[in-house]
Amino acid sequence: MIRIDCPSCGGRDEVEFAYRGDATVVRPAGDAGEEAFHDFVYRRANPRGWHVEWWYHQAGCRQFLKVVRHTMTHEVHAVARAGDRVEVPAAEHTGVPAAEHKGVPAA
Amino acid sequence: MTQMFRMASGGIVDRSRTIGFRFDGRAYQGHPGDTLASALLANGVRLVGRSFKLHRPRGIFAAGAEEPNALAELRTGARREPNTRMTQIELYDGLEAASQNRWPSLRWDLLSLNGLIAPLLSAGFYYKTFMWPASFWEKVYEPLIRRSAGLGRASREADPDRYDTMQAHCDVLVIGGGVAGLAAALVAGASGVRVMLCEQDFVLGAGLIGEDEAWRSAALERLAGMANVTLLARTNVFGAYDANVVGALERVADHVAEPGAFVPRQRYWTIRAGRVVHATGAYERFIAFPDNDRPGVMLAGAAATYVARYGVHPGRRALLFANNDAAYQSLFTMQDAGVTVAGVVDPRADSAAQAAARARGITVWSASQVVGTAGSLALSGARVARIGSAGTDTLVAADVLCVSGGINPAVQLATQSRTAVAWSERLASWVPGAALLPQFSAGAANGVTGLREAAADGARAGAGASGAPADALGLPEDRPSDVTVLPFWEVKGSGKAFVDIQDDVTADDIRLAAREGYKHIEHAKRYTTHTMGTDQGKSGGLVGAAVLAEARGERVQDVGMPTFRPFTSPVTWGAIAGTSIGKHFAPTRLSPLHEWHVKRGAVFMDAGQWVRPAYYPAPVDGDGWDSVLREARAARRGVAVCDVSTLGKIDVQGRDAAVFLDRLYTNTFSNLPVGRARYGLMLREDGIVFDDGTTSRLAEDHFFVTTTTANAGPVMQHMEFYLQTVWPDLDVTLASVTDQWAAMSIAGPKARATIERIIEGLDVSNEAFGFMAVADATVKGCPVRVFRISFSGELAYEIATPAGHAQTVWNAVLEAGEAFKIEPYGVEALGLLRIEKGHVTGAELNGQTTAADVGLEKMFKKRGDFVGKVLSQRPGLTDPSRPRLVGVRPVMRGDQLRAGMHLVESGTTHSLGWMTAVTRAVELEGWIGLAMLRDGVARIGSRMQAASPLHGALVDVEIVSPHFVDPENARVRV
Amino acid sequence: MSVSDVVKADHLTPGAYGAVGGDPVRIARVTCDVVQVMARKGRAADVAAALLASHEVVLPGPGAAAEGRGMTALWVQPEGWFVVAPRAGDGVLAGALKASCGDAGSVVDQSHGRSVIRISGSRAAWVLAKSCRVDLHPSVFGPGRVASTQLFHLGVTLRQVDAVPSYDLMVFSTFVTSFIEALCQAAEETGYVVA
Repeated sequence: MIRIDCPSCGGRDEVEFAYRGDATVVRPAGDAGEEAFHDFVYRRANPRGWHVEWWYHQAGCRQFLKVVRHTMTHEVHAVARAGDRVEVPAAEHTGVPAAEHKGVPAA
Repeated sequence: MTQMFRMASGGIVDRSRTIGFRFDGRAYQGHPGDTLASALLANGVRLVGRSFKLHRPRGIFAAGAEEPNALAELRTGARREPNTRMTQIELYDGLEAASQNRWPSLRWDLLSLNGLIAPLLSAGFYYKTFMWPASFWEKVYEPLIRRSAGLGRASREADPDRYDTMQAHCDVLVIGGGVAGLAAALVAGASGVRVMLCEQDFVLGAGLIGEDEAWRSAALERLAGMANVTLLARTNVFGAYDANVVGALERVADHVAEPGAFVPRQRYWTIRAGRVVHATGAYERFIAFPDNDRPGVMLAGAAATYVARYGVHPGRRALLFANNDAAYQSLFTMQDAGVTVAGVVDPRADSAAQAAARARGITVWSASQVVGTAGSLALSGARVARIGSAGTDTLVAADVLCVSGGINPAVQLATQSRTAVAWSERLASWVPGAALLPQFSAGAANGVTGLREAAADGARAGAGASGAPADALGLPEDRPSDVTVLPFWEVKGSGKAFVDIQDDVTADDIRLAAREGYKHIEHAKRYTTHTMGTDQGKSGGLVGAAVLAEARGERVQDVGMPTFRPFTSPVTWGAIAGTSIGKHFAPTRLSPLHEWHVKRGAVFMDAGQWVRPAYYPAPVDGDGWDSVLREARAARRGVAVCDVSTLGKIDVQGRDAAVFLDRLYTNTFSNLPVGRARYGLMLREDGIVFDDGTTSRLAEDHFFVTTTTANAGPVMQHMEFYLQTVWPDLDVTLASVTDQWAAMSIAGPKARATIERIIEGLDVSNEAFGFMAVADATVKGCPVRVFRISFSGELAYEIATPAGHAQTVWNAVLEAGEAFKIEPYGVEALGLLRIEKGHVTGAELNGQTTAADVGLEKMFKKRGDFVGKVLSQRPGLTDPSRPRLVGVRPVMRGDQLRAGMHLVESGTTHSLGWMTAVTRAVELEGWIGLAMLRDGVARIGSRMQAASPLHGALVDVEIVSPHFVDPENARVRV
Repeated sequence: MSVSDVVKADHLTPGAYGAVGGDPVRIARVTCDVVQVMARKGRAADVAAALLASHEVVLPGPGAAAEGRGMTALWVQPEGWFVVAPRAGDGVLAGALKASCGDAGSVVDQSHGRSVIRISGSRAAWVLAKSCRVDLHPSVFGPGRVASTQLFHLGVTLRQVDAVPSYDLMVFSTFVTSFIEALCQAAEETGYVVA
């Protein structure tokens, strides 16, 4: 069970949140075409390492939070409000050997 | 004579009180402070169970959680609990327990003949022996295996006890209340931070008993006086999860015959800790040698524990087989307590402890090993031979053989939370390395042994976890003890040398697995079931790994260890379920009119979390269908009223509210006039239909959105996602008002005549209040919002009112409709009406259908972006041959349709579609249904067959328009 | 007496239930009006100024409640609050708040949509901790603190009222019967009193 430090509510259990996937993809403009929307809906990096993702604080402040989570260790590095930028750490900030990391760009 | 093996003094059992218990039906006596195991040993009971697979006789092997053999069915009747460890069961007056896995009795177990067919039961025997013929599996092999192999029996009765939960937080969690844990808690507690200490035993600091008792009592007294320290005895931490969250099971009332009133039997703790101190101790490991499972073979430390803590001689004459000096202390403790010592067998040539033993007059066979044991249901002796000598061995008489192959620090919980491990050459075992989380390992769990050193290590960990100084803590006295080992794992010879005593896994099984290609430790584990028992291989896991290493020609440390996962010890299902049982499994959601429905005698049905009236039986009704048809007829021909409070309702406000809705729905809301409602269709971004409902405009910047009952939550989340992450610049606020507003639908040709009588302050005539009009009014002085919308296809009004007024308004409607024989109608009649009308609901909008599939493609606006627009135009979703909504009627009107029937061309079996919903109709004769059918529109007017092979049903049907009633939609506008 | 005998519909039958001889908690329904106020885009300061002027309340930040004239404001989401006040007539509180906020805020009456249960007594936090995952220890929580969280599978806005401690638990009204039953069951171990 991961703990998420909600910027408004403080540290809360995973059960209060609903996962909503990759927070780095951006909805294309309405006229961007099928390819762009296909990528937006389906194409995911699935990294082994740090991942920026949406977690919806359903049982709390009902805000979509940007969470930087490590997909191997479940460490949570940072939590930000939807509109804020988050920093994605370098690989060595975790107990997993650096070779196992593939970082993802910051949202 | 009872308790023949009880010493006159020593230990912490209360000899002033004698308590009675029964094991396998026989009465015995023990003392408070005993475990079932210590009390059985005190009474000379050596044989306590039969092994899992081979039904070999087994005795008490350990004194704690690592016990592989001594498993009992505890208690009787509905409270019977299987596979409890006798070594951890606290004795109480009237305790009843039974041995397991024996038939017909423990001493005469016919299934021990399994030993004779043991070659068939080697590693992987499930996969090999029972492959063929397949039909034998269910009828022959499985019942045979189920009878012959297995653990205890769970009760088949409902558990009468309660199980509870507790959510906890602390700054420092100390796991383990041995000397290191106590020291850590003392240091952390003195700093003032919130400390919790969990110990699975019912006694804290048990290792200090018979050693430094003064330090122990002083420590316990100091801890008890610290208001910031919570001590939880009888509490096993069974799992470490992410972010220093751990799960623990407190056995609140397992040590009494029945829990007191309102007291739970067990409590499941979820503990969130800032820092964790792992003071989980170490488990002694055994050595694999032929027949190392005979009752009387026991871990050396366990034998000493029975003497020191319980005042019980585990046997009359003890022999030690050990590869380390620390184990000699166990033997010395026994000797000092009056146990006759037969000698020591030590594979090492020489050591300080060997000299000390000889000084005590103890025979030491150095550079020697135990090559076998003698006895049948109990140990009578061990065969000892010098290492390297062929054929000659000596039978040494002994009734207890103490074994020690060294210690394994209990790193299970630490590694679950991703603490690395390192190989210790000194211990020939894994010790904790760098921690990922703020955690500290201390004492024996950290490879630090000896009471004094372990306490100092605990104090260091407590200081690290709390920021307090460690040096102020006084340390206990201890005796010299050296756990350095000569790595020594197995004695090869004839006879079964077990590496997992509970699962009957031998060293040969491990080698067989390796030969057959299961060389990875995880594969060997699963192929042989090594370490998969309730003891999780605490005493034999590394022994098996060493045998595997040898078979692979590698070092033990290169083989690694299987991943440790929760649970470190078994947890009952009762504790996992906790209070979430029966009707508390999930919360129940009730309409504000629920009590009325109950009084009216409604038959209820679950709709998600809601409990809704299905129909209202009347005395004239023969069965449920009579009720449903009567209610639906009232809606078609007179007037009927339905509680629709369950519909999701969302209040949307803001300058950009209309723009926001335009982007979420396929159709347009920005041109909706104030005081009007409009049906809306919502897609997911992938182009599939998500939800539908009616949205009303209450003011320029204020909308009232309704969703389907099932999707109220998901639609709210969908809206919040787009508002917060995609279009954060829009000025929109959202509020769920589902619970604020009760709603009722008044439908039928007499609907207007009914509500005219009660609506105050609003002209509801067709001219003044046309189809899709919305306005505020009052009923009996209660504020209401009136919507002229229809789900049934009849003239209909929906009246919403704040929930507290629901009953008043509902009563007013019923009273006003009395003249027209108004009927309340339930969910079943609601479904009938919508199927007749061809309205789609969850059965059709099932997450696979597009707007065109259900005939709603005209609802797409021509211009502007909306969620799902682009991907809804993908070729796969616009393929004209996709299954499309149609109506279905049996050719023979009396034939029954069933939901889920497949539609096939007559005489074929290839499914071209399926029935989504069926009902008996009131406007038409017989059954009707809706279906999703390939090339559906083109097939309208044709004949097919509807098949339900499950029911043996095949019905000739005609494919028709889904709008059985009033396809022009004229009735709603009158 | 089982919990379902104590809780009839959403009504609590007065009496003492559960374990005896200990330190029981008190459980009661609180009758009140609840209005949700949300600032429109960029208008939070205007809403705050308006409510300060009209109701003498300083709208609280995350995790807090603030008292105003005859009402209490609870933070529930960024730029969103619940205003709780003793029950008045239909729409009275909502109307006053809307008049105060004007177009700076969205005002939604939830007086019927939310129900409030009060649990009080020295063991109230212990009873809640059976389900409450938020830390209610006096070192981190106390009177005037608010947390929206989950209790007994349900969304709850929890406010500590005083140091007794007493807690007001605001739940969705359609779940209130289910919620009270679960709360009463949890309180059986300490015993509970319905006044």
